[in-house]
Amino acid sequence: MTLTHPTQIGCAECDLLVTIGGLSPGERASCPRCGHVLMENTPDGMTRSLAFALSAALLLVMSMCFPFLSIQANGLEQVMTLPRSAYELYMDGYLSIAILVMGPIIAVPAMMISALIAMLVAIRRGVPAPWLVPTGRFLFFLNPWSMVEVFVVGVLVSLVKIGAMATVILGISFWAYVVFSICFISALTNLDRVLLWDRIEELAG
Amino acid sequence: MSMDSLYSSFPRGTAAAEGLASCHTCCKLAPASNHRCPRCGSALHLRTTDSLQRTIALVVTAIVLYIPANVLPIMTTTMLGTAEPSTILGGVVLLIHHGSYPIAAVIFIASIVVPTGKLMAIIWLCWTVSRKQNTSREQRTRMYRVVEFVGKWSMTDVFVVSILVALIQLGGLLSISAGPAAIAFGGVVIGTILAAESFDPRLIWDQVGNDEEDDEERIEPLLASAQNNGEAR
Repeated sequence: MTLTHPTQIGCAECDLLVTIGGLSPGERASCPRCGHVLMENTPDGMTRSLAFALSAALLLVMSMCFPFLSIQANGLEQVMTLPRSAYELYMDGYLSIAILVMGPIIAVPAMMISALIAMLVAIRRGVPAPWLVPTGRFLFFLNPWSMVEVFVVGVLVSLVKIGAMATVILGISFWAYVVFSICFISALTNLDRVLLWDRIEELAG
Repeated sequence: MSMDSLYSSFPRGTAAAEGLASCHTCCKLAPASNHRCPRCGSALHLRTTDSLQRTIALVVTAIVLYIPANVLPIMTTTMLGTAEPSTILGGVVLLIHHGSYPIAAVIFIASIVVPTGKLMAIIWLCWTVSRKQNTSREQRTRMYRVVEFVGKWSMTDVFVVSILVALIQLGGLLSISAGPAAIAFGGVVIGTILAAESFDPRLIWDQVGNDEEDDEERIEPLLASAQNNGEAR
């Protein structure tokens, strides 16, 4: 999938006017002055993105439903799930931290995936859909606020920290979340902003 | 200043010099006289409005919040009834004492090096732009990209605290609760992400060709290659 016709765009990082023509699959256009990647025609980008987004949606639901981590120390056992983690912070009187944590790792990615799946399905079916425009804006508005990969690193750090105090058992949700983070990032990297908006313009009319 | 002289104040070959503004949401190029992007309806600007002022205001906010983030405890460990608050730096020192050097390094980099480095980098970018300095634009653009990329990684410690709080609740034996520094630190991260978003990297390139001879020489072949970028690559 490539642009419907050659398009002139301004580089987002240095404002140089660049004309992008037809890119064959696997090709990318970068700004000749600052090197910023302007557009990338990933082979079957949108199909791959949809496949990853669907897997990510399923895995995210899974990661909410099962134990995430559990610990055993001196005969005591404690199980943690993601919703429980938010609840525990809230009970401590830190509603703001609960939102600060659950927003970027669950709420924002969930909304982004929903928007992505809805848009990519509509584009595949090729039906006129004016709602694609606000949905697309919503997706790119949320983009800087997803911190899925940072949370995975945070979990790994806490594993080592807790490991010193107690035995840690990794739950189903932990694995689901790790695979979710890979699928989520792949869904976004396979999607090209310029190409996506080109399709949206076509369908939104 | 009339619109035409405003546009001609931008270097040749840029969208702004042609009176075109690039939509920050959908990358559409449209006449800057439109106030909304004709494709997606986002507000359209030649450059981010008051980019430097906004960026500096957010940087100052982040610096102010960075003080309580380091002075107040980020979490309190209660072991057999004894409460022991610890700060971000205190946590790093404790990890070093326990011999967990890699984890100490991760927390130190994510909570100390990244936020301070990022704030300094943004201040430097704003300063060079406002002073119209000609320090390598390629390098400054690369620096901006790094700043934009590393921003969210500072959240690591807040996530670690939230996991410990949820997991370590073994009654009177051992329990961990969050401290006020976690909120302040979250504010620092949000402030620096917003600061990086409001800094317009195109400002770095806006003095090209106006004051440098070598830039003038370089621009001709550049303009030629920009016109057939799609075919060339």
